[in-house]
Amino acid sequence: MAPVTLKSVTKSYGATSVLHGIDIDITDGEFVVLVGPSGCGKSTLLRMIAGLETITGGAIEIGGRVVNDLEPKDRDIAMVFQNYALYPHMTVATNMGFSLEHRGGSKAEIAERVQWAAGILGLTHLLDRYPRQLSGGQRQRVAMGRAIVRNPQVFLFDEPLSNLDAKLRVVMRGEIKGLHQRLGVTTVYVTHDQVEAMTMADRIVVMNGGKVEQVGAPLDLYDRPANLFVAGFIGSPSMNFIEGELTPAGFKAGNITLPLPANAPTSGKATYGVRPEHLMLADDGVEAVVKLVEPMGSETQVSLSLGEQSISAVFRERIKAQPGTTIRIRPDANAIHLFDATGTRID
Amino acid sequence: MSQPTQAPHKPPFWTIARRDAAAGYIFIAPQLIGIITFVLVPLGLVFWYSLHEWNVLAASFNFVGAANYQMLLADPNLPQVLIASAIFSAGLVILNMSLALLLAVLLDQKLKGMVVFRTLFFSPVVVSLVAWTIVWSFLLQNNGGINGMLAMLGIEGPNWLRTPTTAMISVVVVQVFKNVGLNMILFLAALQGVPKELYEAARVDGASGFKQFRRITLPMISPTILLTSIITIVGSLQVFAQIAVLTQGGPGMTTTVLVYYLYQQAFQFHFFGYGSTLSILLFVIVAVLTFVQWQLRKRIVFYEN
Amino acid sequence: MKTDLSPRMKTALYGLMCILLIPFVFPTWWMITSSVKPISDIFAFPPDLWPRRFDFSTYAQVFELQPFARQYWNSAYIAALVTVGTMVISSMAGYAFARIKFPFSNAIFMVVLLGLLIPSEVTIVPLFQIFLGWGMINTHWPLILVPIFGAPSVFATFVMRQFFIALPNELEEAARVDGLGRFKIFWTIALPLAKPALGAVAIFTFLHSWNLYLEPIVFLSSTQMFTLPQALTQFTDAYGGAMWNIQLAAATMTAIPVLLVFIVAQKQFVEGLAHTGLKG
Repeated sequence: MAPVTLKSVTKSYGATSVLHGIDIDITDGEFVVLVGPSGCGKSTLLRMIAGLETITGGAIEIGGRVVNDLEPKDRDIAMVFQNYALYPHMTVATNMGFSLEHRGGSKAEIAERVQWAAGILGLTHLLDRYPRQLSGGQRQRVAMGRAIVRNPQVFLFDEPLSNLDAKLRVVMRGEIKGLHQRLGVTTVYVTHDQVEAMTMADRIVVMNGGKVEQVGAPLDLYDRPANLFVAGFIGSPSMNFIEGELTPAGFKAGNITLPLPANAPTSGKATYGVRPEHLMLADDGVEAVVKLVEPMGSETQVSLSLGEQSISAVFRERIKAQPGTTIRIRPDANAIHLFDATGTRID
Repeated sequence: MSQPTQAPHKPPFWTIARRDAAAGYIFIAPQLIGIITFVLVPLGLVFWYSLHEWNVLAASFNFVGAANYQMLLADPNLPQVLIASAIFSAGLVILNMSLALLLAVLLDQKLKGMVVFRTLFFSPVVVSLVAWTIVWSFLLQNNGGINGMLAMLGIEGPNWLRTPTTAMISVVVVQVFKNVGLNMILFLAALQGVPKELYEAARVDGASGFKQFRRITLPMISPTILLTSIITIVGSLQVFAQIAVLTQGGPGMTTTVLVYYLYQQAFQFHFFGYGSTLSILLFVIVAVLTFVQWQLRKRIVFYEN
Repeated sequence: MKTDLSPRMKTALYGLMCILLIPFVFPTWWMITSSVKPISDIFAFPPDLWPRRFDFSTYAQVFELQPFARQYWNSAYIAALVTVGTMVISSMAGYAFARIKFPFSNAIFMVVLLGLLIPSEVTIVPLFQIFLGWGMINTHWPLILVPIFGAPSVFATFVMRQFFIALPNELEEAARVDGLGRFKIFWTIALPLAKPALGAVAIFTFLHSWNLYLEPIVFLSSTQMFTLPQALTQFTDAYGGAMWNIQLAAATMTAIPVLLVFIVAQKQFVEGLAHTGLKG
């Protein structure tokens, strides 16, 4: 177990710069999720920590040691790949023991470690199988077994659940989290799925366009997104943004006025952000025209026209409104977010 | 771009990338050295020799500039040799490709025992080339098996290998049956690689069997057709053993293809200089044909992954 | 295309294929049966599909007229060496061209591909001179070195490269994380997975070497050194006429072992070839 520190890490391919100076401190035993849209550089960053991509500038430290020029094998990390990368010509047991074999472990020692890891992941009865004989979830477990068998300082996960179906993804999410709680190994986990990030992370690093947008605990990011990007990225369905002007009477967008919290500024242009789940049905609210109703059972998602804007809302109640009818809604003034012209949060 | 703020650490000379590059050079070194020694240097030498009058028996080696090339253009045998080569290659490629495609389509049908047929059609590929040629030579003798069978049907067969037209047909056909199995297997693999959904979609759209073949099968396997045709053409220009065993280039010079002529000039008549000139001609022909086919790829290959 | 066929259609297809089979199968049959006919029966009319008399002395004569066992060994060991050598050289080069980043790799690959354009027939004259200079005429070295290192192995390298290109990148990355260097990745991960391609390369290479004809007759001059294809054409009487039954006995002995190996392992053979990178 070891802390991981990234200091002004940059990456460029020739003249194209893909990471513009990343600084992240990951403490010992922490579970950090790198999340962002595809192409934001999160996978590249993870692969740089692993040693699979060279580091153009800055430094990466693992356990206080600069690892920039070390081969992956000398960094004491283990990685779980998106497609699992199990060796097709080796059994599960050989796959899991392979790295130990190449680090000079004795046969008995390797067998013992493999048994231990297989026990934890419920793979004991599959040790003699080949990867092609396993289901997706089982392959996923073998890939994790291969990582934990060596007891590395750091676990790296590169979108490990993206090839599983939705139901299995939820199960494996829990298993990975449980494994982390049990082993306490520093973990860096890359995903594009903000639900995975929210449910698994101790801390989330939101990345966009080769930069870190915000670092924080999941609920901090949800409650206090630092900018428009994070606000839009975290939370599902995503936050509604309405452009307009701050006035003492509230937030004016066209001829609609929306409520503001007590301590909000009272002048200037701004973007008003409100999560769909923070819109309520209220007789004294603003009028919105129903465009589409999607009943989910536990809740109802409704697409609405609010003046010129399209917004979405999630209600606990079951709504029976027909498209074209008008309903009245009101944002929870204490749960709204304001952003200035540069997209930065206004407190 | 931001600059590292800490004390910049100095990377070692053997960075990961450099070590990997070194490994790459080590991996390709044997092949590269081999290609230089046994392909590039000889190619340079063959050009150098082609500028010389060189008779091994007379031990003469004189620089003559382009004289061999002038001799080439004036060589009364050359038109005949080029025509023979062209007929042989064209006949071989057309027959080979169409027969291979026919066999592949037949083997692609849902019938029992296809593995047996596939094995038998492929079997000549693994029969020693000279053994195969010898047995055909035996069959094609004037009093041989084929004329014997024809006589039983009341047909008087020609003296296959001693009649100009049938001699050429014979060498082509013997070679086609020898190697068509290879292309057949490649076509069969390509046919089986065409997604079934395409045929299902075509049936829903009402396309008949033949139309499906023309509009779906052929375009989908066109990359394989192109690649095999390049290999087959280049291979046809290298045919030597079959000619040497079956006809020795005869009757007259009707089956003297370029490689056989080259061999005669260099190793039977010991004209190494002129033989080298013929080698250059062979090289140019192979290069031009390959280039043309590669260019054609853009037009005829509909689908490429 | 793949609809179920009617019984009449099936019969027609089977009939068509049986007719098409004749020129593929009959020559081998004729070779074997004629090799055990006495010379007087060999051109008998009407032709005998089954020998009316057997004469196995032809097989003994093969060994009396030529050092045939020695020639058999020559062909076999040369083909074996060439096959193993080509597999080593081409898998290494194909791997590097497919998977390792190094400066000028594309340019070097283009130079190597030139070998496809330059069949050894083109360079036979200078090759003869080179091996003459090395004192290797009438030795087997030219028949071993040129196929392994020269133009014929380029095709093998191309096939291997096509295969390795399709290998998932993540496997190698996992191996690097697991602590393997380049050579070990090649040896323990890439090569074991490349068995189908290696099989195809082995088949192509073996057959190419086994069938080599121009090179032996250019480079070899003593019967002790001859390879089989060359030896097969040497069974002639004092007037240069072919001693057909003996020649066919030698041809049968040359063809049958490979044919048997093929029939036993036909699945691997055919599938190995079908799954090379030759699909375009």
